[in-house]
Amino acid sequence: MAAVEGEPDAFDAIVMAETRFHGEGYQDGYAEGVHAGVMEGRQYGVQQGASIGSEVGTYLGFAVMWQQLLRKTSGEKYSKKIKVLEQLIEMIQNFPLEDPVYDKLQDDLEKIRGRFKQVCSLLHIPSDLRLGSERISFSF
Amino acid sequence: MKDSLTLLSRIPAHPDSRCWFLAWNPTGTLLASCGGDRSIRIWGKEGDAWVCKSVLGEGHQRTIRKVAWSPCGNYLASASFDATTCIWKKNHEDFECVATLEGHENEVKSVAWAPSGSLLATCSRDKSVWVWEVDEEDEYECMSVLNSHTQDVKHVVWHPNQELLASASYDDTVKLYREEEDDWVCFSTLEGHESTVWSLAFDQSGERLASCSDDKTVRIWHQFNPGSEQGGAGSGTDPTWKCVCTLSGFHTRTVYDVAWCHLTGALATACGDDAIRVFEEEPLSDPQQPTFSLAAHMARAHSQDVNCVAWNPKEPGLLASCSDDGEMAFWKYQRPEAC
Repeated sequence: MAAVEGEPDAFDAIVMAETRFHGEGYQDGYAEGVHAGVMEGRQYGVQQGASIGSEVGTYLGFAVMWQQLLRKTSGEKYSKKIKVLEQLIEMIQNFPLEDPVYDKLQDDLEKIRGRFKQVCSLLHIPSDLRLGSERISFSF
Repeated sequence: MKDSLTLLSRIPAHPDSRCWFLAWNPTGTLLASCGGDRSIRIWGKEGDAWVCKSVLGEGHQRTIRKVAWSPCGNYLASASFDATTCIWKKNHEDFECVATLEGHENEVKSVAWAPSGSLLATCSRDKSVWVWEVDEEDEYECMSVLNSHTQDVKHVVWHPNQELLASASYDDTVKLYREEEDDWVCFSTLEGHESTVWSLAFDQSGERLASCSDDKTVRIWHQFNPGSEQGGAGSGTDPTWKCVCTLSGFHTRTVYDVAWCHLTGALATACGDDAIRVFEEEPLSDPQQPTFSLAAHMARAHSQDVNCVAWNPKEPGLLASCSDDGEMAFWKYQRPEAC
């Protein structure tokens, strides 16, 4: 049977139904997936962001406290310690906490962690001490 | 070729344990060994025999992985799995622990003194490399904590005449560091090995670096200064390091250590197939693309994995090796005629 020119074949809708429903289902599913992904991503981002913020904030509080404590002391013995504390504070102040897509976030965070460990070593404080209520650790 | 490496003596240095590492003092008169028995032994030659001059037992709670002599020969540093590094001061025949460096989160894998003697580098399973500054009163202050590697750092070594540091890691890379305004920065990452890089050795000039790996190869890296033809349009003033030679097909297991003799230029390797091999650069090979040939192969040099090879710094051809079997061996290497 030949199809009539210009008019959609009535059988087409039936024959193509499976493909059409498959396509629509895919679109619906995809939209649902995007929504769920965004939700999950947001949740994960909030969690990780909070974790980084808490870690960096702890370092800042720690560094500022020691800076204040050492301010009254003088002598060459302490100038090095104070200088490294100032470097740590500066690094944290330059760290873009508000910019989640900053491409060097991880690199800079590693540098801050390194500086914090150096400060701990210079002040003879074990760096694995529990800061705050929970231990700061990252799985990535 | 068989006679080019001959056994001089074999000593049960750390019986019932592993012997991890050996280090010659700068004058080549003393050899320090360390092992799984948590002790360091100092060996000296009496007549034709190597005898144990002292045992440094009370310093570490766990395995001692590496030892290093200071350039002056008066200090010995030891890196241990107990997360600390001890500094021992030599008083005649005795050694006294004068400092314990803490800071690494877990196992310290390696330690090395800079040629000036005023800097010390350590590395650890905690993925970090630490640079320590030494003052006149034997006080050690941390200068920098470098978190450039993404995995366990296996080895650190200093350039023979510049303040340039190299580290090897389980992340399959070698990283190079230099000082920048009171701090240390990683300026280059050498990629090429397909598995863990276990050890590193600079040649006498410091223009070349050999690295050995779990991928059963040894790679030779050459330094090209900026502006030179090979250095190319590299960034800024840092030299670039490029792999100019890969020694593959010689080793059947992991290559654990590599040592470059600063007197003869011979390159020795310690391998997990229990063998020691010595390579020589072909005399007429292009320095930019050198070829190395196997000059000696001592199969079953030890009954288990060979962990370390060390050339005596003063006596050409005297090689020491040690193994998981707890033994240490001394070898005489003679360059084959054809080479």
